[in-house]
This record gives sequence, structure tokens and C-alpha cells, in this order.
Amino acid sequence: MVLIRVLEDRLQELCNTGVLAADLHFCKGQEAIPVGICAALRETDYLVAHHRTIAHAVAKGVPLEPLVAELLGKATGMNGGMAGEMHMSYLPKRFMFSFQLVGTCIPVAAGLAWAVKNYHKTDDIVVVFHGDAATANAQWHEGVNIAAVQQLPLLLVCENNHLAGNVRPEHYLPTKFVSQRAGGYGIESAIVDGNDVEAVLDAAKYAVGYVRQHSVPFMLECDTTRLGKHKQGQGDLRPAEEMTALAKRDPLRNVDRSLYRDAEEQVAQAIETAMRSPDPVLPKP
Amino acid sequence: MQSLATKPQPFLRNHFVRDAIGQALYDAMIVDASIVLLGEGAHIKQHYDMPTILRGFPDRIVTMPISEDGNTNFAVGMSLLGVKPVVDVIAGDFLYRTLDSIANTAAKLDFVSGREHTIIIRAEFLLGGPTTGQRPEAIFTHIPGLRVLLPSTPREAYGLMRDALVTPGVTLFFEDRMIKDDDDWDERDLKLEGCVPSDRCSWRMKGQRGNVTILTYGVMRQVVERALRSVPKPTSPYSDSGDISEEWGMQCDVIDLWSLYPINWGFINKMLERTGRLLIVEPDVTYGGIGAEIAATLAEMRPGVRIKRLGAPRTTVPASPAFHSQMMPTEEQIVSAIRKLNQ
Repeated sequence: MVLIRVLEDRLQELCNTGVLAADLHFCKGQEAIPVGICAALRETDYLVAHHRTIAHAVAKGVPLEPLVAELLGKATGMNGGMAGEMHMSYLPKRFMFSFQLVGTCIPVAAGLAWAVKNYHKTDDIVVVFHGDAATANAQWHEGVNIAAVQQLPLLLVCENNHLAGNVRPEHYLPTKFVSQRAGGYGIESAIVDGNDVEAVLDAAKYAVGYVRQHSVPFMLECDTTRLGKHKQGQGDLRPAEEMTALAKRDPLRNVDRSLYRDAEEQVAQAIETAMRSPDPVLPKP
Repeated sequence: MQSLATKPQPFLRNHFVRDAIGQALYDAMIVDASIVLLGEGAHIKQHYDMPTILRGFPDRIVTMPISEDGNTNFAVGMSLLGVKPVVDVIAGDFLYRTLDSIANTAAKLDFVSGREHTIIIRAEFLLGGPTTGQRPEAIFTHIPGLRVLLPSTPREAYGLMRDALVTPGVTLFFEDRMIKDDDDWDERDLKLEGCVPSDRCSWRMKGQRGNVTILTYGVMRQVVERALRSVPKPTSPYSDSGDISEEWGMQCDVIDLWSLYPINWGFINKMLERTGRLLIVEPDVTYGGIGAEIAATLAEMRPGVRIKRLGAPRTTVPASPAFHSQMMPTEEQIVSAIRKLNQ
């Protein structure tokens, strides 16, 4: 969690100083979810992510150097600098793909789960992360429907930060909880405090075990807070009092500062290496 | 080697090309365990089209809900683990439903990952009505990362499908259901063996040097060949009056493009050396279509070449069959266009 926070903070500085032009999506305040979930996974389990994906990559064990180089668009990046933040993948750690377009990750993860179950025929599972706003998209519904019909080992993790960019749930969510939507597809679900890493880990252990044992989808809704902007280069309309209240739920509020030192060193090293790396060459069409 | 020549006449219309695709899939599935067929009503489709696939590989067919966009994204997910999915979207019109997953997900996959995936997306054309008669092939040639194939004979259909299944990348594979089975295919057209490479095209009819070169694809290949066959073959270039006869002018080179992307520009350019006149006959809407791209590219390659296009009007396809003959170029229009180019 500390490593993710430090990495995002340093990348944000690069954005602020204009070194990094990309409009990165940071997950400040939501770190406990990918960390808790990935701690409950086997190394051989698969992960598919959405666009706010740096935390998922770190939590799944992607090494910092190829990750940072990819974010900086360098040839030494995990995808040769051609993927950027929102299309990354790193197969050695089974970080399978991330998708910019909201909702796309769900049917893709369902297809992956089909291949795990029916082609590779292993008991590994696929975990897919999505936001609360993605559940208003047809791709979420089509993907969840297919996963439920085909009985696929797919763990849906909803990072419910109660926001779609700057838009509030009253504009996209008609139910009190996101997981109510899963009920419509006959999928079991649970809700957990997504800012309490131990609670996420406990819930994830149950959910992962359930999916693996029964080979069916399961949805874990993690209630969380996004403490930063939707993306760099975009404003945030939330009032200061609201942000102060949300900060009290920061999963890293009680973390020992001494843990930051090692993370700072690792991140500084990865950024320095990436900065020295060559730019990629555009492949021929 | 299989041949469709001895097959009894099917009770449904226009099945030779479809059967060739089914045979290609079956033959490929025998040697490649990673091929999986999916789509709406996939099991039922194979029950009717290729029962040998249903009997041989029932577990490698996935019947999907009516969720075209989700189905193609699902296929992308399969391909991440080495599966070669063949997604059947059924009608060409339905491709608009899944444009997002094709253009934004599948087409970008190899580029952003630096790895290779093989995905086939199938769809068919029928001239039915407003949303059962559209031909969206030109749109897909515009999107980087896609290969667009549209065979017009059983041999091409078989060979191109076999080729697509061993070539990394995303292939849009169109089946033109308007191609009639009573076509006078020669034995070679009905031979189902081997691969047909997608970066080539075929020189269907040999014309006379100095006459028109006709570039066509899909069902229009059949219409063009019929139009040319309807003109009697002259023994001499000259008419009784001593001028070049009209029949002689109808002896045209016909090139069938089975691949709309990539296009074999080198061969077409060379063919135009023989003639300098080009007639493009396409079944799709002419405006912003394949013919426009071909005309522009060849005009840049060979300034001075005379070019004419024939295609469908930019009109919604009416449901009434009374208007369907106006939705594609006719034999008469083709003959008259050749005459004009010869003048």
C-alpha cells in the first residue's frame, strides 16, 4: 500500500512539472482493495483491470522498473512503451490486461475465465476489478450475464468510490448497493469496508475460495474513498469539508512513516532508470 | 482434399461458400485444438451447417447470448490464453453492435501488448431490408489492426479461413450469401485444399491488352463475369466496317479482390499497364467505399489512368424486394460502363 502511495505521489509530481504529459488515473485512498485481494490470490491466478490500474499492477507483483518505464512511454516498459497506463499487461505475473473503456474488462475477463476453465483446465481463478459507475454500462451487464450463464470462475471486485469521474451515483446507480445488481444474475455477493486492508483480505479469502470451489462468479463490493482527482488535468468539485471527512478514512492514515523510506528509494530508482531509457520505435503498419 | 463438385444440391439457397467455410473450420479444428467457435446459437448453427463439427467438437462450441459486443470482448479474453476464437456475429448489420469491441479492444490487442493473438470475426451479407442488408466492410478497412476478407468462391472461402486461422491478428471474415450456387464455377473453384494467402487477389478472366481492367469483389464478381459471358466472343478485333468491334472491347481483365485489407496493389498496378482503364464494381455503397480508396490510390500510382466506379446507391435498403435490383449494379450497367470507358 505504501509503495503504491509513494509511486503515485512521485508520478503526480512528474505530471505537475510537465515531465509526464499523460493524464494518469491515481487511486489514492483505494489502495487497500487491490492489496487485500491480491494477498488472497495464488500467484497463478489471473487479474484483469480497468483504467485506474497502477495499484493493481503493483499489488499483483509487477516489478517497478518495467511498470514505471511503461508509464513514461519508454522502450524498456512492460509493453515496450506502446500500452501506457490504460492498456498494460505483464504475463509473468498474470496481470493479463487493463482497459481504458469502462466496462470492457468484464466480458474480457469472462472470456479469460472460460479459457482457464475449459481450455487450460486448471482451478485458477480470474479476478476483475471495476468501479461502481461501470455497472451502468452494457458491457458490465453483458459480461456478468455470460459469466453467470457459463458458470465461470470469475471474482468481480467492485471498487465503490461513489463517483463516476466527478458525477455522483444519483445519476447512474438506482440501487442502494452495487452488489444488488449481481443478484439479478443469480450471483452471490458481499460488501466490505474497502479501506480496511485486513477486512478486505478476510473477505477476499472467502470470495476467492468460493469462486475456486464452486467455479461460479462472485461479487465483492468494496466501499471506498477516492482522495484524489479522477485524473490528472481534471478538476475536482468536491467541497473541502467532504475531502477532510474522507481523509479520515484513508487506509494509510495510521501507517508508520518509517515504512515510506524503503518505498521512496525503490520508486526513485525506478523513475531514474526509466528516465534514462530510450524511447520506443513505432512499429511499421 | 475435399471437393464440393459431387455434393448433392442443397435444399437451401447459396450454400457452397458456407459449406466451404464449415469444411475449413472442421479441417482446422482437427489439427489445432485451440480453435473455439462461439456466437449466438452456435451449436444450432453447426447442427445445420456442419454437423461433423457438432459431433466432433461439441465442447469447442460456445452458444452465446444475444450480446454481440460482449461476445466479441469475451473472445478477446479467450485469446489472451492462446485460444483462437471464431466469433460468429451472424449478420453484417450486427457488426455495428460490436464495433466498440472490434475497434477499441480486438484491433488494439497486438499493438499495445507486443504479443500475437488470433481472432476471427465472422459475419454474412444478405439483401433483406434496412437493417438486414447493410455492407459494413469498408468501415473495417479503415481501422488499423484489422484484416478484412471477403471470398467469392468456395476455394477462396476455404483457403482464406484456413489461412486466417494460422495467421496472427484479427480477421473480419465476411460471407456473401448473395453469391448464387448456380454460378458456373470451374473445378478449381470448388477444390477445397490448402491456404489462400490474404495479401493476394485473383485474375479471374483474361481480357485483351488495351481494354478495360475490372476490379471487383464478393457477389459482384459473379455479376461481372455473367455480364461479360453474355457478350459473344469475337474471333477478330475488327467489325465489318474495319473498326475495333464492340464485342472485342468487352474482352476485359477481371480481378477478384478476396482481401479488402490488405490489397495487392503491386499486382493491380501491373495489370493496369496492360490497359490503362479501370472499372471498379462493388456491391457496397459507392460513397466513401472500397472503390473510392482503390480509385484514389491507383490514380496516385498511375496518373492518367481512366477510372469509373459502379456500386450501390447511398440509400437505406428497402424491405420490399421490388427495389432490391436497384441496390447493386446490374449486368446492363456493367456492360454500359465498359462501353463508356472504351470510347
